[in-house]
Amino acid sequence: MGNAVVPYTRRMDNSPPAAPGQPTVIQVDRLAKQYRVFDKREGLLASIRGLFHREARMVEALRGVNLTVNRGEFVALLGPNGAGKTTFLKLLSGIITPSAGTATVLGHVPWERADAFRRRFALVMGQRNQLWWDLPAAESFRLHREIYRIDPTRFARTRDDLVAMLDVGGLVNRPVRDLSLGERMKLELVAALLHEPEVLFLDEPTIGLDVVAQHTIHRFLRHVREERHVTVVLTTHYMKDVVALCERLVVITRGSILYDGSLEGIVDRFTSHKIVTLDLDETPAPGRIERFGFPCEIRGPRVTLRVDRERIADVLPEILRGEPVRDVSVEDVPLEEIVAELFRGAAAGAP
Amino acid sequence: MGRYFGIFLTFARACLVRDMTFRANFLLECVTSLGWMSMNLAFYLLVFTFTAEIGRGTGWTREPFFAFVATGLIVNAIVQAFFMPSAEELTELIRTGGLDAVLVQPLDAQFLLSLHRVDYSSLANGLVGVGLLGWAVSRFAAPPPLVAWVLYPVLVACGVAILYALIIMLAAATILLGRNQSLYDFWFYLTTFSRYPAEIYAGPWGGPIRALCTFVIPILLVVNVPARIIAQPFTAAAGPLVAASLGAAAAMLVISRIVFQAALAKYRSASS
Repeated sequence: MGNAVVPYTRRMDNSPPAAPGQPTVIQVDRLAKQYRVFDKREGLLASIRGLFHREARMVEALRGVNLTVNRGEFVALLGPNGAGKTTFLKLLSGIITPSAGTATVLGHVPWERADAFRRRFALVMGQRNQLWWDLPAAESFRLHREIYRIDPTRFARTRDDLVAMLDVGGLVNRPVRDLSLGERMKLELVAALLHEPEVLFLDEPTIGLDVVAQHTIHRFLRHVREERHVTVVLTTHYMKDVVALCERLVVITRGSILYDGSLEGIVDRFTSHKIVTLDLDETPAPGRIERFGFPCEIRGPRVTLRVDRERIADVLPEILRGEPVRDVSVEDVPLEEIVAELFRGAAAGAP
Repeated sequence: MGRYFGIFLTFARACLVRDMTFRANFLLECVTSLGWMSMNLAFYLLVFTFTAEIGRGTGWTREPFFAFVATGLIVNAIVQAFFMPSAEELTELIRTGGLDAVLVQPLDAQFLLSLHRVDYSSLANGLVGVGLLGWAVSRFAAPPPLVAWVLYPVLVACGVAILYALIIMLAAATILLGRNQSLYDFWFYLTTFSRYPAEIYAGPWGGPIRALCTFVIPILLVVNVPARIIAQPFTAAAGPLVAASLGAAAAMLVISRIVFQAALAKYRSASS
């Protein structure tokens, strides 16, 4: 008999794994953001009509969100396109102002844009280049030193450490426009961390990157978080990022938080079954295996069943006693599937 | 203040490095700019083959008028070199969300947005302007008094400040509107009025234009006041002119600051 495979490290409770005893770094209360958008109809006549009368409507990008993040946490904001993740990050970093609600980051109201606040955090946007395009990254680093008033010795030490960690020593003197997306993103991360921020906001940092670059960035971010105790809030579409980096997951759909808790908690809360995969000696006779659970797939002697979580302790011994089992594995429903189902439910207007 | 100057020097250095990377483009820009200026000067020389003075009794004979043109070149070269390239880039920064990166940096956003690019090729016109001014002044019947020389750079700075404030207000409009090409065209049309002596704006059409461009949008003070101080006889009338120029520059800077901050507060950011 094979070992049961549990894909993610499990925690016993479902509560948000906020770093206990650590000070609160981000406190958000009923934060909301509305946009007024103008609809533009198709066609020349409609365009001319639009010169005199435009149809406006309000879009609620964020609807009264509450969130508390403690020092040292690594929080993933997950949601479908247009869910409000990036709007949330922009509010927390003070780029835009909210329509209602309050927020403090490191004790500051972000949209007041105090220099004392802006020196203590960094924002990296995977889809936007923040380094000088035509110049080597070393020039952008130099500017960064001036803007953040970093002591030259400390600057050199931090830069060299970060460059070594990401193995980008050979890239810092090449014009940014000549670098690949993955190389650029590594240098963006170096630039963002030069002033040793206490909070790091990452907006889809691995978008478009190959597997190797993703893995390097995951390893780097884990190291940064552990060594420097940086609080990280990450938005992403990739479950790989979430699993590799975060203990806490915040699912946002249609501007509201649908789930805030541990990775394991989402499995417990939104699924009532587990996936049991059996490798039998032979193809089971029709109707024989269905009594244990719902058969998702039967491919020869390999059978995948969906079994109620509450029945699993009874069903497994029964299978092992009564069936010619070569190997068995028990897994949670894949996180991607749960999240996709949550997104679909939200899109359909389900609560 | 020293920190901001240091940051500006870093920007200036980076822009120089970039310009030197694209040397052919840099030289082409210098040649284009100088070519356009030479055509303008040739046009004014042509005008003076038909007349001895721009407007009867105005004092704008050939050499004083070329001192006026030189002042315009110097003011515009400073604006074009240090402020306009950044302002022109603003629409793109807003469209692509690049402004987001500016707003998270612990630095005054107005400083960063208005001074992060330097166009060195525009300084070529300024150098020609300085040369032209020297030539014109050397041919004056009476050289300008020392006080005029002292006031001249101050008044040029006031002119630059007025144009800078105008750019900042247009930049604020860009932040509010998201795109603003026509308003930059408007800036070009408006500054065209500043290129000629105020005396030509007379009569039923010229009078209102002169009033508008002096008291509402003080564009006529930009070149006229420093040029008059250096190129016309220095009299007691200079006092109110200098005061007007200083006052207008200060008022425009304050107003533009308020408008810009208000626009930043309403910034919506581009969708990602």
